[in-house]
Amino acid sequence: MLNQQKVNHFGKLEMAFEPRRGYTRLVHVYQQPPLKASRELYEGSDPTATVFLMESSGGMVAGDRNEISVKLAPDSQVRLKQQSALKIYPSHTGEHCTQAITVEIADKARLEWLPEVIIPFERAKFQVDTTIRMKESSTLIWGEIIAPGREKRGEIFDYQAFQSKYKVYVEDNLIAFDSLHFKPQEMNFSAIGLLEKALYIGSLWIVSPLVKNLAIRDLQDMIQQEHSLQASVTKLTDQAIHCRWLAKEQRTLHKEINSMFEHMTTLL
Amino acid sequence: MKLQKDVSSSHSNTVDTLTNLSILQLLQIHDSAFPIGSYTHSYGMETYIQEDLICTKDQLIEFCQAYLFHNLVYGDAIIIQEAFHAAKERDVDHLSELDELCGAMKLAKESKEASVNVGKQFMRTVAPLMESPFLLQWKEKIDCEEVKGHYAVLYGIYCEALGVNVFHTVMTFMYASISGLVQNAVRAVPFGQNTGVQALNELLISVEEAAQTVMSLTMDDLANNALGIELASMKHEFLYSRLFIS
Repeated sequence: MLNQQKVNHFGKLEMAFEPRRGYTRLVHVYQQPPLKASRELYEGSDPTATVFLMESSGGMVAGDRNEISVKLAPDSQVRLKQQSALKIYPSHTGEHCTQAITVEIADKARLEWLPEVIIPFERAKFQVDTTIRMKESSTLIWGEIIAPGREKRGEIFDYQAFQSKYKVYVEDNLIAFDSLHFKPQEMNFSAIGLLEKALYIGSLWIVSPLVKNLAIRDLQDMIQQEHSLQASVTKLTDQAIHCRWLAKEQRTLHKEINSMFEHMTTLL
Repeated sequence: MKLQKDVSSSHSNTVDTLTNLSILQLLQIHDSAFPIGSYTHSYGMETYIQEDLICTKDQLIEFCQAYLFHNLVYGDAIIIQEAFHAAKERDVDHLSELDELCGAMKLAKESKEASVNVGKQFMRTVAPLMESPFLLQWKEKIDCEEVKGHYAVLYGIYCEALGVNVFHTVMTFMYASISGLVQNAVRAVPFGQNTGVQALNELLISVEEAAQTVMSLTMDDLANNALGIELASMKHEFLYSRLFIS
């Protein structure tokens, strides 16, 4: 549980977007270190606001908490990108690092959240709650990757606990609840049915009224082309798709998830 | 055929022990002749079988244990336990919430559909067997599509109405799930009947341990860590030839 007195960093980032004069603008931002947002960036006449999310502390330490809240007014179009991977340092005090992300997407608004990696270091304890509330007419393309640790240093599943609860509501109906709770000391990840040979987990969530026009089998054919990892797609509802990858290698996974992400952004 | 009309009267003296009749009723709903279609679902196991990853008894046991401890315990079993208590409180709102969570947690389309379809078959079969106004109230909510009617929620409601205790409710559900997987593996791999019997027998101790674990869990513990099985359930939809619906 979070102990307020021992919180060394309590990062807060509140962002509200609205279309103004042809472009989506970041009309309200409140930032409390170490969380910070960049200014909006635009590509040509595309009204989409691209904003980088920055974490100036270099990673979360035991007891740290990050709260990110994003609101999209009707018709706004936003692309959010984390500046770097989220690093979770060892929990020397035994406390968890916690992160809460809440997103509201109003009618006909569109949010793209580019996949970035969460890296729990050895003895890290991390808990993230992500809640997305959207409308039937709004669009979400959201990706994320979970690493087993600093793999290149031989740190593989040496963290203590990793918990993620990811919820998507469309018109107040819960359409997806992805809940992971990994305790490597108590689990054999390599067993059949768990992660088996994989170390990295990639997820993509796509919700849009246009999903009903997509041929799910074509997407499955596409996602299965890379044979060095396990991947599949499924329809959560008529307007929502979930893709998941279980991969041995981060580079290939990143390439695959990004290519599916880009594919979706062009289709939807 | 009406088996027993007035099961609700046996509530008070069956809080902690199974009555003979409730044992028999539990046995009946888990009989392979009970038409709820659970034997047509492999919940992703068929994908593993087609990839030649379940060829031996030990591999089958390992698969069943992963399904038991990393999918069922933190998923359907918690939902059943909560549904049982909510049914006791006649808390329809909480049951509706559980029904929604149960579906939202099953990301693979076929697992989600299996849970609803088995639930529907189960309701159709058990509704004429018992007079429980609360069960009928839930049936009406399913019929008018206010809730989806997931099997786990229904199983909790039904067992509460039978007068079975919560531990046996959870344990019998998990036993039936694992038994179903083993039977299906016997047909699909295929294994000899004796191999299936031995595998299930070796898994019994795990089923009991799993049920004990569930008793200490709450809604906060809902999770699915069996990502390999989930991915296999997603892929199952796209297999060329299939014996099972999921």
